[in-house]
Amino acid sequence: MSLFFLYPAFLVGLLAASLPIVIHLLNRRRLQRIQFPAVRFILLSQKRISRSYRLRHWLLLALRTLAVVFLVLLLANPIFQTGAGLFAGGGPVSLVVLLDNSLSMTWSGDGNGFKQAKEAARLLISALNDGDRAALLPTNVAGKEVIRLKSQKDVLSRELDAVEIADGTANLTATLEKAYELLSEPAGQKEIRLITDMGLTGWDRFSIAALKRVDPSIPVKLIRVGRKEQPLNASIEEIRLGSQGVGVNIPLQIEATLGNFGAQEVKDVLVQLSIDGQNKEQKLATVPPKGQVTVSFQTRVSQAGAHTGQVSLKKDGLAGNPVADFTLDAQDKLRVLVVDGDPQTALVQSESFFLSRALNPSGERDSSLFLPAVIVPDALNAAALDSYQVVILCNVAALPDGFVANLQNFVRQGGGLLIFSGDKIQPDSYNQKLAQVAPAELREKKTGPEASGEKIDKLDAAHPALQIFSDPILLESLKSSRVWGYTRASARGRPLISLANGDPLLLEQKVGAGKAILIATTADRDWTDLPLKTAYLPLLQSLTHYLAGGKRGQLDPGIAVDTAKEIALPPGLVGKSLRVAKPNKLDVEVPIAGEKDRAVATITDNDRAGIYRLSLPAGASKESGAPQMYAVNRPFLESRLEEISEAELQAKLAPVRAEVIPIEALKEGGKRTDLAFPLLALLIVTLLAEGWLGQRF
Amino acid sequence: MADTQKNYFDPKVLAGIANLSLRARWVVEGLMSGVHKSRAKGFSVEFEEHREYSPGDEIRRIDWKALGKFDRYYIKEYEDETNLRAYLLLDASASMNYASDGITKFDYACTLTASLAYLILKQQDAAGVVTFSNRIESFVPPRAKRDYLTQILHALENRGPGGETNVGKILEDIAGQIKRRGLIVLVSDLLDEPAEILKGLRHFRFKGNDVIVFHLLDPAELSLPFDGNILFEDLEALNLRVITDPRVIRTTYQQVVNEFIADMRKQCHDNAIDYQMISTSTPLDQALASYLSWRG
Repeated sequence: MSLFFLYPAFLVGLLAASLPIVIHLLNRRRLQRIQFPAVRFILLSQKRISRSYRLRHWLLLALRTLAVVFLVLLLANPIFQTGAGLFAGGGPVSLVVLLDNSLSMTWSGDGNGFKQAKEAARLLISALNDGDRAALLPTNVAGKEVIRLKSQKDVLSRELDAVEIADGTANLTATLEKAYELLSEPAGQKEIRLITDMGLTGWDRFSIAALKRVDPSIPVKLIRVGRKEQPLNASIEEIRLGSQGVGVNIPLQIEATLGNFGAQEVKDVLVQLSIDGQNKEQKLATVPPKGQVTVSFQTRVSQAGAHTGQVSLKKDGLAGNPVADFTLDAQDKLRVLVVDGDPQTALVQSESFFLSRALNPSGERDSSLFLPAVIVPDALNAAALDSYQVVILCNVAALPDGFVANLQNFVRQGGGLLIFSGDKIQPDSYNQKLAQVAPAELREKKTGPEASGEKIDKLDAAHPALQIFSDPILLESLKSSRVWGYTRASARGRPLISLANGDPLLLEQKVGAGKAILIATTADRDWTDLPLKTAYLPLLQSLTHYLAGGKRGQLDPGIAVDTAKEIALPPGLVGKSLRVAKPNKLDVEVPIAGEKDRAVATITDNDRAGIYRLSLPAGASKESGAPQMYAVNRPFLESRLEEISEAELQAKLAPVRAEVIPIEALKEGGKRTDLAFPLLALLIVTLLAEGWLGQRF
Repeated sequence: MADTQKNYFDPKVLAGIANLSLRARWVVEGLMSGVHKSRAKGFSVEFEEHREYSPGDEIRRIDWKALGKFDRYYIKEYEDETNLRAYLLLDASASMNYASDGITKFDYACTLTASLAYLILKQQDAAGVVTFSNRIESFVPPRAKRDYLTQILHALENRGPGGETNVGKILEDIAGQIKRRGLIVLVSDLLDEPAEILKGLRHFRFKGNDVIVFHLLDPAELSLPFDGNILFEDLEALNLRVITDPRVIRTTYQQVVNEFIADMRKQCHDNAIDYQMISTSTPLDQALASYLSWRG
C-alpha cells in the first residue's frame, strides 16, 4: 500500500498552504485602536458568540488551508496503490526488477525462497501491459552483458530462468545504481522492485552515498522473502595450518573454526576433511549458540606440490555455507649436508649433535621437513653437493681444496651455506679459500669463562629468517642465551645478530643465486648455551629454510568470492597472459602487467566458489614461485541469516523511500487509483464551504 | 422655509455654533415659533435686583427712581414665582465625550440641557443644573430668574467631560439635596449598572418628583459600524479593552444594546418615569418635544 505522485515537483507548492495562516497572523498584527464608551456591550456580545465564532473562524482558516493543499496535491497528481502488484492503472510503466541471488537466498523461505523470488519476478513480468518496459537485474551479476529495458515478456522470462544463486554477497550498491541509470530514460511511471531476503550482510556494505545516480522520486519496494523459523545456522569461518609448514609425509595439522550465527546450539555436526578429493578424517562437533568451536585434523600428504583440500559440514537442516576449500603447497624434504668438524664417539659430544636434532627432532625419516646427512670433513671430497639444498659446516678446521670450488659453485647456483665457528676452525684457511662466499673475514678467537659470556643483544627482526622472533617467547629465549666463545669477524655482509659488546654473531652474504650465513660461535655447547634454549630449533630450521630458498610448504585458505587475487610472477612474463580455469569449467585469460620490478596478474573474475587452476604462459619456469591453484570461498558472513529491520533499511536508503512488502502480498495483486478526481471534488466542496462560511462573518 | 427650520435642530449644524447660549436660543426659538405658550405662566411679585437697561427691555419696567439717583437706566427685576422647579442633571463622565461623527454626546447633552433650561426659564419656571461624573461636579440650584440662564450656561461650559460614571450613587446624593419636589431631567448615556440607575431614579420618584430620562447614545454605539480587527478601549475604565472584528459581533451587539434600551424603557415605565432614548444624530426638537409633551 503506497502513495506516490506523478508530478512530485508541484509538492513544493505545499509551502503555500501556510499563506492563509500568515495572512491571518498579519491581520491580527494590523490592529486599529478605537476608544469607545460601550465596551461592556462588546464584551457581552463576544461572550455570547465566542464559542461558535471561534469554531467558525478556525473552520474557515482550516478550509482555506485545505483548499491550497488540495490544489497543490491535485497538480502533483497522487496515485494510491494497494498491494505489491503493478499496473492496475496509470500510463506506461518502466519497471526494474532487482532479484537478490546472493548466497543467503539459498536458505531463505524455508529452503525454497529463491524459487519463490523467481516466481514473484515472473508475476511482475507477466503483469506488464503493452507499452510497458522492464529489466531484470540480479544483485550478483556474473557476466558483463548489457542490460536494457525491454518490452518482450518472453525474453525477460528466459533471462529469469537463467538466473542462479551466486556464491557471493549481494552487490546492492551497483545494482541499485544500474536500476536508476535504466530509469533515467523518460517514462510515464517508474518502478523498482527488489525481491530479497533482506540479508543484513548485503545491506551492511550498502551506502546510498556511494551511488553515482539516485532519483529520490522513485521509491524502492522490497518484496521480502521471509523465513518462518530460524534454522540451525552454522558455517565454516576459517581454515588455517596448525603445524609449521607443509612437507611431504610429515604430520600436518589443519584447524577449522566453525561459527554459529543462530540462537540454537548446533549439535553433532559432522566435519569432514578431504585432501585431493579423498576423505581424510571426520569428526563430530557441537557449536554453541552465537559461538565458535575449532576442529583440528591430523593428516599428511605423500607428494610434493599443489594439493586441494576441503572442510565440509554435514547435518540435516543446517543453513549456512557448509564447504570451505583451501590449497596446500607441500614441500619435498630439504636435504641438508652437515659436516661435523669435531666428531666424537659419544654422539652427544659431537659438534653436530644439537644441530642434527634440531633439524630432525624425532630422528625418524618422515617426521621432519629436513633430512640432515652428517659427514666428517674427510668425506667432503666425495660429497655430491647437487643432492643437497644446504651445506652446514660445523667447526670444520679447513676445507679441502677440491671441495672449495664445488662449494663455491653450489652456493652461486642457489645453494645455501651455513658456517658455524669453533675451536678447530682455522681462520686463515677460511679467509683464503672462502673469501668469495664467506660473509666475513675471520679474525682471532675470543673465549672466556662461561659465567662471563656475552648476551645476545640486537637482531634484525625484519629479516625473513628471523621473523620467528616476533614471538616474544622465542625472542626472550634467544636473548637469555650466553656466548662465551666466538671468532671475531670483519663483516663483508650485513650482521643480522650481534652480541651485547657489539661483535657480530650472525652475518649473511648473498652469492650469485645462493646465500651464505656465518654464525661466529659453535653449533654445540662448547662456546654457547644457545643449543639448550627453546629458540635454537626454530632458529636453525628457519635459517636452513631461508638458505634453501625460503620456500616452505604452506596452506592457502583462499579468498572470498568477488574479491581479487593477485599472482606475482617473474618479470619476464609481462605482456603475456595467464589462463585461469574456473570451477564452472570456464576459462579466462588474465593479462600479466608490469609493476615495479615484478609481473602481476590480477584475477577479478572470482564469482564462483571452488578451486581456480592457473596455467602459466609457455616458457615460464615451474620454479617461478607462482601458485598453481587457489581457492575461492563463499563469504563467511553470507551465512548469517539475520535480516535488516525496516527502520534501518529506510535509514539506509534515505532520501529514497523504501517500503517492505511480504512476498505473499504480491500474489494478491494490487490496485492503483488516480486520486485526482476525488481531490478535485474535495477542492470544490472546500471552496463552496469556505464561501458559505465566509458569508456568515 | 421648512428646511431652514429643520436646520435649527440638526446636531451637525449645532455643533458648528460654539456659543452654547446661542445654540440654546437657536433651538428654542426655532422650536417655539410653532408652539403655544405654556399653561404654567409665572408672574412677578417680589423684587429681586436691578440690572442695566438694554435695548429691547420693556420701557415700563425702567426704575425711574434709580435713574434719578444714578443717572442710568435700570430695570427692576422680580423673582418669578412658579410651581415648577426643574433640576437638569447632566452626565459629564468620560464616556459622554464620544462622537462617531460630528457632535459628542456631551455637547449634545449640553445643548439639550441649555435648551431645556432656556425653555424653562423663558416660561418663568425655575431651572437648575447639576453636572456629575462619579461625583457632583457643579450644582446650580434652580431659580426662575430670566437671566439665570447665564449661570446655568456658565456651569455647563466650564465643565468638560471626564471621570467615570456612577449614576446610581450620584442620583441618590442629589435626591438627598433636593428639598422641594419638582421636575428631574436626567441627561446621560446611562453606561452604568441599570439596577443602580433605577434605584437612584426611584429615590426621586419616592419624593414626588417627576422624572424625565434622556438616554443619549451615539449612532456608533447603537450600530457598531466598524470594520476590520479593532482594539476597543473603554473611555472610562482604562483596563477594559477588547480585540474583536465588529463584523462578527455586530448583530449580537445590536441585540445587546437594544435589550439594554428596552430594559431601561420598561423599568422607567414601570416606575412612572418618562424615558426618551435619543441618538446624537437625532434632531434636538424631538428631545424638546418630549419635554413639551410632558408639559402638556
